[in-house]
Amino acid sequence: MFGGGQGAVLSSCETEAGGGVVWRVFQDSVMLIAVSRGGGKEEQVRLRRLLENVWSCMVLVLGQDELVHVKNVERLKKELRSCFSLIDLLLEEKLEGILGSLTHCADSLLPPNASVLQETVDGFARAADSEFGCLIVHGRIASATEKWWRLAPQEVILLSAFVRSLSSSGSASCDYPVFLPQGSPTVAHRLLRFQLLPGADVCVLCGPTPPLHEAEAQLVGRFWSPLVETLRECLALGERCLPGSVTLRPDVLALLLINRETRRSVCCVQMFPHHHTLSKTRRWELLRSFYTFSTSRYFSQEEAACGPPEERALVGDFLQGFSHQPQQCYLVTEECKSFGLQTPQHQLFLLSPPDVPTFALRTVATQTLLLLPLMN
Amino acid sequence: MTGVPHAGSLVVSDWHRCPDSKEYFSKILHKKRRKRFGLLESPVMPPHVPVDTVHYKIFLSGKSGVGKTALAARLAGLNIPTVHHETTGIETTVVYWPVKLRESGRVLFFRLQLWDCGENALRRFDHLLPSCKDQVDAVLFLFSFTDRTSFDDLSNQITKWTESSAGCVKVVVGTKFDLFMHCDVSGREVRDFQEKWSLPVLRTGGEVTDVLGDVAPILNCLSENLWHQDCVTAGSLSRPSQPETTAL
Ligand SMILES: Nc1nc2c(ncn2[C@@H]2O[C@H](COP(=O)(O)OP(=O)(O)OP(=O)(O)O)[C@@H](O)[C@H]2O)c(=O)[nH]1
Ligand SMILES: [Mg+2]
Repeated sequence: MFGGGQGAVLSSCETEAGGGVVWRVFQDSVMLIAVSRGGGKEEQVRLRRLLENVWSCMVLVLGQDELVHVKNVERLKKELRSCFSLIDLLLEEKLEGILGSLTHCADSLLPPNASVLQETVDGFARAADSEFGCLIVHGRIASATEKWWRLAPQEVILLSAFVRSLSSSGSASCDYPVFLPQGSPTVAHRLLRFQLLPGADVCVLCGPTPPLHEAEAQLVGRFWSPLVETLRECLALGERCLPGSVTLRPDVLALLLINRETRRSVCCVQMFPHHHTLSKTRRWELLRSFYTFSTSRYFSQEEAACGPPEERALVGDFLQGFSHQPQQCYLVTEECKSFGLQTPQHQLFLLSPPDVPTFALRTVATQTLLLLPLMN
Repeated sequence: MTGVPHAGSLVVSDWHRCPDSKEYFSKILHKKRRKRFGLLESPVMPPHVPVDTVHYKIFLSGKSGVGKTALAARLAGLNIPTVHHETTGIETTVVYWPVKLRESGRVLFFRLQLWDCGENALRRFDHLLPSCKDQVDAVLFLFSFTDRTSFDDLSNQITKWTESSAGCVKVVVGTKFDLFMHCDVSGREVRDFQEKWSLPVLRTGGEVTDVLGDVAPILNCLSENLWHQDCVTAGSLSRPSQPETTAL
């Protein structure tokens, strides 16, 4: 703040005890500050993401006007309370197997009957006067209309998180005004959500029509009743997110696959055959931190290149010194070995047991990439 | 004057305690908790026990923080939120509740869809209230025992709704009855209010110890009043119903 008057930009600092403080001013109006226990480059990347996501949550619920043209600070403070549930969701990041707020790629589930679901989502959205429709199973996108995928990646992630929080409350349907942080920050759309089965929700973004009860009474049954069994099959995939036909190598403990073009991702943890030493929770933690490690040092995150200058500066010094991009990277720790692989279209991050020879990791990764559906 | 049925005059109160209700209530339970139903699901009875389901739309009215979202969750047997997160739009919750009609002995599943909209969202967005009001069958007016103003405002609220939605059922629910240490509304005032408006007034709050018993008074009362209203509308009850038993 002191430096700001002199035109200097300071955007983060570390405490002596190793904690980190990161801040950013949005729209010349609101400054968000994140404080965390851990410091270091990885933590900074995570905190910057968090700030951006929190700001977007605020816009999603309140709209940008409310936040930028502040007439009465006390009132704004009160209104901000309505974003708390969504912000809490991001802060906790408890939900295992959901990495979207970190990767800004949509957590997806690859359903066995993809084409039927696609047709139904398309038809349902059209009937609700909308081009934006999406089916979310276990908090992950199972199918969505083409236009839904054209929303900004961050909006896709936030809407998924929003639907997830609404869905977990157990309510049957809802009609929420939402602002799209990038596509429509000042005009609210309506997000209609219907819980088809517990854990399976369909939603559409629409204008003034149709009313909630009308869409529910006339469209939900007509489009989705014939698909009850298909939806149950999707639900049965559980956290694995992959069709049953895909058999992973036994030496894969966890993986995250990103399609860099479509900005979709799948991730899963494989608990069998037995590697009891690492709990599921720990595997998710390790996968998260390996992702942050790789992308803050070696691989670029797609949007980072066009993000704010502070963020660009974070893409490792390593990267900036070279004209080419690293294709692979690995990290060996006592707990596990991690390998990252990058092609023009995909990024794959996986964890293997420590007893897998380091030279074999590349083979494990390339073979796994060939096995996986590529989300094109 | 259609009046309000005396509690237990049309439906069997505490039916969930009777042995003959078991096969019906088992359809809304799963592992001793309330079962969750998606929109594509409903309780299924075996083919030789045909049961009709009657659908109703119920609006929860009351100021921010009074406990609308918590009540909806309670009535559906869902996790009750412990911190207050404003509801920023409309959320509906579906509750299935089996009811036995006193006179005919007929059993019905009531499908009560509770419409809950955050008070501040209602104020910020004009299109939400009309959507909640459209074809509404009943309004639950909530006040909190810990918030005097929410009780004082009831009369206003009820008058407003009586003007705009004449035929709909009205029930008053006092929330946070468990927080008696901070009680701001006396039992006497509640009785006076009840007499003046001749509307059912119920209480709720606290830990849920009995899955069905916790919600039965509210759900039975609501169902009974809705059924009564339907009968009146259909003309089968031209005079106020006579109580068969003395209601409490
Ligand atoms: N002890 C106790 N707390 C309650 C009861 N009902 C609600 N609460 C608490 O009161 C707070 C507000 O409840 P909500 O149900 O979220 O309030 P609301 O009416 O939906 O508020 P808006 O959505 O803002 O309009 C929450 O922290 C609840 O846990 C109750 O019966 N007893
Ligand atoms: Mg609420």
